[in-house]
Amino acid sequence: MKIVVLLSAGLHPVSGQSILPKVEAQALRLALALGEARGRHAGPTAFPASDALGHGLPHLVHVEIPAEADPVPALVATLEADQPDLILAGRRGQGGDETGLAPYAVASRLGMALVSDAIAVERGEADGTVIVHQALPKGARRRLVVRLPAVVTVHPDAPAPRAFAYGVARRGIVETRLAPPGLPAAERLEERPYRRRPKLMRSAPACGSASERLAAAMGATSSGVANVMVNPTPEEAARAILAHLRAIGVLPPKAA
Amino acid sequence: MGAYAFSALIFAMVALAGWQISRRVAWWRLGAPAEVAWGRGLLALPRRYLVDVHHVVARDPYASRMHAVVAGGLVAASILTALAVLPPLGGSRLYWAIVALAFSVTVIGSLLVGARRYPRKPAKLSAGRFQILPFLLLAYAVGGLISAALLAWGGASAATLLPALALAAAGGLGLAYEVRRGPMRHAFAGALHLVAHPRPGRFEGRPDTALAPLDLDAPKLGAETPADLAWNRLLSYDSCIQCGRCETACPAFAAGQPLNPKRLIQDLVAGLTGDEASYAGSPYPNARPVADDTPPLARLIGEDARIHPDTLWACTTCRACVEECPMMIEHVDAIVSLRRHQTMELGLPPEKAAEPLAELRGAGEAGGRALSARTDFAAGLDLPLISVRGEADVLLWLGDGAYDLRYGRTLRALVRLMRDAGVDFAVLGAEERDTGDLARRLGDEASFQDLARKNVETLNRYRFNRIITADPHALHALRNEYRPFGGDWTVVHHTVFLLELVEAGKLAPGRLAGLSVTYHDPCYLGRYNGETEAPRALLDLIGVERREMARSGKRAMCCGGGGGAPVSDVAGERRIPDIRMGQAMETGAQVVAVACPTCTAMLEGVTGVRPEVKDVAELVLAAMETPR
Amino acid sequence: MTRLRRNPRGERAAKAVAGGARIRFDLAARAEDRGRPRRDPRAESAELLIGGHARPRLDRSGAAGAAPSSVEETAPTAPKIAVVESPAFLIAVVPDALGERLSQHDRQLFGAARMLAGADGAVVALVAGEVEGLASAGADRIVAIGEPGYDPEGRAAAIAGALSSLGLRYVLFPETSDGGDVARRLAVLSGEPLFSDVEQFSATSVSRAARGRRVEQRAASKRLMTVAADAVAAYAGPEREARPEPVAPAAPIKRAILDARRITADPATTPLTVADFVVSAGNGVTDLALFRRLAEALGATPGASRMLCDAGLMPRESQVGASGSVLTATCYFALGIAGAPQHLQGVAGCEHVVAVNTDLHAAMIERAGLAIVADAQDVMQALIAALKEEGA
Repeated sequence: MKIVVLLSAGLHPVSGQSILPKVEAQALRLALALGEARGRHAGPTAFPASDALGHGLPHLVHVEIPAEADPVPALVATLEADQPDLILAGRRGQGGDETGLAPYAVASRLGMALVSDAIAVERGEADGTVIVHQALPKGARRRLVVRLPAVVTVHPDAPAPRAFAYGVARRGIVETRLAPPGLPAAERLEERPYRRRPKLMRSAPACGSASERLAAAMGATSSGVANVMVNPTPEEAARAILAHLRAIGVLPPKAA
Repeated sequence: MGAYAFSALIFAMVALAGWQISRRVAWWRLGAPAEVAWGRGLLALPRRYLVDVHHVVARDPYASRMHAVVAGGLVAASILTALAVLPPLGGSRLYWAIVALAFSVTVIGSLLVGARRYPRKPAKLSAGRFQILPFLLLAYAVGGLISAALLAWGGASAATLLPALALAAAGGLGLAYEVRRGPMRHAFAGALHLVAHPRPGRFEGRPDTALAPLDLDAPKLGAETPADLAWNRLLSYDSCIQCGRCETACPAFAAGQPLNPKRLIQDLVAGLTGDEASYAGSPYPNARPVADDTPPLARLIGEDARIHPDTLWACTTCRACVEECPMMIEHVDAIVSLRRHQTMELGLPPEKAAEPLAELRGAGEAGGRALSARTDFAAGLDLPLISVRGEADVLLWLGDGAYDLRYGRTLRALVRLMRDAGVDFAVLGAEERDTGDLARRLGDEASFQDLARKNVETLNRYRFNRIITADPHALHALRNEYRPFGGDWTVVHHTVFLLELVEAGKLAPGRLAGLSVTYHDPCYLGRYNGETEAPRALLDLIGVERREMARSGKRAMCCGGGGGAPVSDVAGERRIPDIRMGQAMETGAQVVAVACPTCTAMLEGVTGVRPEVKDVAELVLAAMETPR
Repeated sequence: MTRLRRNPRGERAAKAVAGGARIRFDLAARAEDRGRPRRDPRAESAELLIGGHARPRLDRSGAAGAAPSSVEETAPTAPKIAVVESPAFLIAVVPDALGERLSQHDRQLFGAARMLAGADGAVVALVAGEVEGLASAGADRIVAIGEPGYDPEGRAAAIAGALSSLGLRYVLFPETSDGGDVARRLAVLSGEPLFSDVEQFSATSVSRAARGRRVEQRAASKRLMTVAADAVAAYAGPEREARPEPVAPAAPIKRAILDARRITADPATTPLTVADFVVSAGNGVTDLALFRRLAEALGATPGASRMLCDAGLMPRESQVGASGSVLTATCYFALGIAGAPQHLQGVAGCEHVVAVNTDLHAAMIERAGLAIVADAQDVMQALIAALKEEGA
């Protein structure tokens, strides 16, 4: 199985330094668990995607494109020749537009299927398929059987990346290729410095006194009169608790 | 004739020992090359042995006396006997009387050695070949004594002399044979180790504790097999006498984590030669399963190798084992070399350490927090930035403790005291990165060197006279470990600085009478930098009743926070800070005084009824607020 | 026994003689014995007294003693339904509608759509299967796009069809795993511009954070948009029509996802931060084996207070609070936890809290929706017994 991991130049969420996005290092780990994988990066420099070498990637193909160019056509151009069976990518780029569209665009232009938010990928029982475990809220998963070739985006809940190792990075190879000429520039949107704004508080009442709103914001709100039972018998307490848990739906209803 | 036979025995012993040593030397030569100042080492040997080694050995008075008597007697008796080949001496009955006297001293020494191990051996001592040693010594000494006495008496016949000589030969040749694999190895290896010691500065009165920078272009980073360690390190491990002082000092061992420095050194030796006698000392506590049998010169660390990674990561790099080792072995250097290979070549740091190491690379801070948030603790204090001022008398290095809410209190106290004393100081603010101490101790030398270069570059942009820091880990890095990267500054710990201010009359604290305090020495201040007196002097000046824990000063016990141990989080039976707090509670003091953010965090984490934990700076500030 | 409370003002008014310019009183007249009865604070607090404590303790929650005041039943008035008969344009919303129920995020999406629709436009809900509450959420029309279940490829194709056949002006998705996925599929399938993860929403323009939250990108509303949670308020107006609209079935497509199966989380191994139901033990729990049995019986993820983790009685990963895990659970069941501020920070995001504690005045009892003042051991025993009984 030919596996390619798409790598990008990310920014550290706090420091703003150039780093390999963590989720792409996680994708790399999933890829390496499946077999030999190669990296693919389109950007002006190989760094910081080249950090993937330290996370265990043996070979990175860096397609050199200008900073303002759209990386998708450049990636597609080099991937078309390789015909990979499986492409892994982060669910969102980090440090760019962060639209999360690039994997979809690559998949569509290469005619590959796409599955999002994987936390585990394993070989399928039938040839030419993989089993993808998809992250769902509240710790649930979805197990998907996917026909190859496919692009799989990786969710941050996937296993933590392999630790970066300087010595391993030294052994990796970066192959730089020139991009095909005439790449379109990426669409630019109007930008201004980010400004924090007050967030809508879904539990807070729109009206009410300041102290009420504060209490609601802190989650200390007791919806109406709290139900307090003082010194009930344990059996009473147990019945009340089970009834309450069923009412809010965390406990399945009583089997009749 | 008997006299010549007796001397000949000594020569036979020397020859056997020499042969055995040469076989041992072949193993050491497998190690990596190392530069050794032979001339200086040889000249310094008597001093290193008689002063430095004795200083450590004398901490156990019984062992010290025992060793002086047995070693002194053995060497003196053997040399005197060997000299008997010279005709006038060999024929002198008086001379033999003197030899007999020397042997009788050896007999006493041998009995002392035996008395330590029989009838019951203390847990810290190794069994195995070590248990035979007293008998070999005794056989040699008693045989020698009888032989010499017979020769001195003059009426020695072959019939009487022969059994005595046979006894001496059995003991003596046994001892000589043991030079290769048994306890007697320590005699020769130890002497050579003192000559070729990898840290000669230790014998010159300066704390030679900084880790050596690693060449990041070397074909292999760190030590994978024993052969990757320098030859004089391999030699030093051979000098181990398995006295077990390291294991009694080791905090990880006390906490039931799978580390025993003695066992580790023996594992390194066994990993080198492969035909090592089986280890018969205390095991790694709660030892993790490893490979049963590994070939010599194989990979050392791994679940399928000789040493489990947990053993490696349990170390707090507190240097207590190094401080206690009478053979001057450098355990921590070995551990860091092995860690470097695990982290940089295999990418296998402790599981929970991967994240902090990644953040150090990505954010210059192990918690991934904004560098500008480092000064958040000082909201309202208006810390002057050196980038605005350009220069200052004193640069205050905040360290990563500044992010901690609890430790912010200490730093605020320090800032207030410096303000009160009218000190011209400034901070780096958002330009201050982590010193890389954590990365270096966890074996990520590449990240350390990167951070060191960046910090040196930043610091060398500004003019200041001194760096003051309340973090001994930062102090050690800035003062000692940044030197190879171009960092050459005067770095002062805040306790020393505060003492200076008080002594100069710039601070006039009152007296906290009626408060009993016990001071916990940070490893990186006491053992690594030899500074144990300033905080005590400060505590005395503010009039508290100072009590000492059983283990204090350079022999203090670690809080469990160094060497990345908190992020490695190797499971044990107890927590190291709980043990240390227990020792503090034994003094009955109301307050445990600390001088390090890591110690503060670790000791504050102890639950239950316990003394308060306060930094020395906080106590001085409290004293400022009480009348003199 | 209690005298009535006097109301001097009222008495005076009752004695007043009507008429005349000056106020006059008939002092001989006796005012009727009306007014509130006098309070007897001593008797009231005696009623609130809780037994079993050395120190007198009061239950002021109103649960004990005083009978709840009856609320007058107001006759339900027929709600007015807002109808857009012939809409000038259509705004589509594709809610996640997990389990055929709208989430708060889905409702906010309808709020955004209504903002775009104004008075002339209509909001179309593009849903798979029967979804509850679309009318109150603000949907004017309902269009079916396939069957319920995980089928992002089919869904994208169906919406692409609707995009042209219905002439949708805007299509809004929630920026969630599934919603965001379908939106991006649709974007590459239809070639329409997508503006994702909208954080600031208005009728004409939208903006989003980019480059690691360093910049804000702003644009006029795009045809496809995914909206972040809590960016817009949910629709709060009168109920809408929610009229089902017939639509031609989508052409069959070739799917690459051959099989999808949902695996529910195993509560024992789910990380606390994502667990849905957490039962947590504090200092008041002495029998941890019993506690673990209870967690298993309830199907909840076990947690613990810092006290228990420090003492090594529970693993460090199970610590709830500011220095441990911050929860997002639907329900937090605290046993024997007083509720230190750091601990409460960890459960601030939980929708429901149930607390069992011996101290009525514990912060956790105050935070709880159902609070039991009792010994946690006994309650745990009883709960296990009750669950066993039900199972048997």
